[in-house]
Amino acid sequence: MQQIGKLGRTGIAFTQSLGQSALLLWMALTAPPDRLSREFRRLVTQLYFIGVNSVLIVMLSGLFIGMVLALQGHTVLSRFGAVEALGQLVSLTLLRELGPVVAGLLFAGRAGSAITAELGFMKATEQLSALEMMGVDPLAHVLRPRFLAGLISMPILAQIFNAVAISSAWLVSTELLGIDSGSFWANMQQVVDFREDVVNGIIKAVVFGFVITWVALHEGYTAAPNTEGINRSTTRSVVIASLSVLALDFILTALMFGE
Amino acid sequence: MSSIASFDHVALERGDRSIFRDLSLEIPDGKITAIMGPSGCGKTTLLRLLGRQLQPSAGHITLFDQNLRDLSPAQILAVRRRIGVLFQNGALFSDLNVFDNVAFPLREHTRLSERHIRDLVLIRLHMVGLRGARSLMPNELSGGMARRVALARAIVLDPEIILYDEPFAGQDPISMGVLCELIAQINKVLGICSVVVSHDIHETSMISDHIYIISEGKIVANGTPGELRNTANPLVRQFVAGEADGPIPFHYPGQDFWQDLDINRGTLCSK
Repeated sequence: MQQIGKLGRTGIAFTQSLGQSALLLWMALTAPPDRLSREFRRLVTQLYFIGVNSVLIVMLSGLFIGMVLALQGHTVLSRFGAVEALGQLVSLTLLRELGPVVAGLLFAGRAGSAITAELGFMKATEQLSALEMMGVDPLAHVLRPRFLAGLISMPILAQIFNAVAISSAWLVSTELLGIDSGSFWANMQQVVDFREDVVNGIIKAVVFGFVITWVALHEGYTAAPNTEGINRSTTRSVVIASLSVLALDFILTALMFGE
Repeated sequence: MSSIASFDHVALERGDRSIFRDLSLEIPDGKITAIMGPSGCGKTTLLRLLGRQLQPSAGHITLFDQNLRDLSPAQILAVRRRIGVLFQNGALFSDLNVFDNVAFPLREHTRLSERHIRDLVLIRLHMVGLRGARSLMPNELSGGMARRVALARAIVLDPEIILYDEPFAGQDPISMGVLCELIAQINKVLGICSVVVSHDIHETSMISDHIYIISEGKIVANGTPGELRNTANPLVRQFVAGEADGPIPFHYPGQDFWQDLDINRGTLCSK
């Protein structure tokens, strides 16, 4: 009986939290706008902190994942004498799945955690209260530019990841595995469909960017205003965002590529 | 004397806990009013009520002749622009330097040119003695300096009332002296009303015109610092003299000590 009660309480708490975070995002997005030049300046600042600062980790990860993918792909394809299809395998895997998902997981770890920790710190040091008492809406001033920056950055980061990973896979294929460069690119060009593969990958990345930034903002804004509270919220932010990315990827893949 | 703010039979609960019960007080214009009381008695909460960051569950709070309960969100923002707040740790924006922190309210709420903003910021920083520290970041400032920068930021829009939340907490004697002097000077020079929430009895008594003492959710005493020093009220005497035990007990309520140790007191004495 107790277990059923506990399950019910967890369900209610989850629904409450979901409603609260949706309301928070709605209020942040619909808050009266400031002067356009200021809104733009805040957005550019956040694009730098959230997007540009994540470029290096995304590029390095793309570099290694592309190389590993080429090596593993070559091992499997050589058994069937189809090593020429390596470009095709690498590009479809990256554009459809690995690009948005791995970039999303990296984005949740690098930018999502930073957003949550920053907001939690701002709350603990009364910076959000100070804004409120100065007659400045913290939702519009702090949350909105971070959300928009996350939404814009994520698909760009996923495409950077794809570009680096495909380039590193090409390098390993041609220099290390002896595959002909022309057939690598030609095979890729033949099978990759812009609408089906590239656009669907971008849509996935936009959805992941939306969810990761939303979770990060909600966790930071509702963090308990002390060190322990910030730690807990930052961990929760990364865990919830990462699991959401994986679960949503399954749903989106089923919708986009399912028969 | 006219009052700028008043609390009329205010009550506030948080969860099951009652913070205020039937709290009434007046904050006179042009004076320094101190709200004092033991830690956890709701002093900071009182400031949050005055800034309409919290709503009372009963009673009315009036500020600038307006009932705070009746205000629309836009009116609340307008009222807040007439209030300056010095937060306990300064609450400086960690991504902005000293100059930009002080300039922040001007840039948000006025259309002044950068040249005018620069002049106003430097005047305020000069008032708090930190004109030379304008390009430092908040993490390069000591606690006392951070509070002085926050004070410059709180007065940069010429507020009509300034709320000070524990301005002396954790400060060395020199910083405390500087802050005391600044609070008194700013109140006099700008001719505004100040509300100081603190439990530092010595410093607060030096600068306040009137003191309210809160305990268990209501005002237990009020008067000038001199009147409170000579009061017969045992709780005020304990607070003013800093006695460890008294109406506010040293021991947190619990069962009898001997019972807790599981020792029969009579047996122990006979041995």
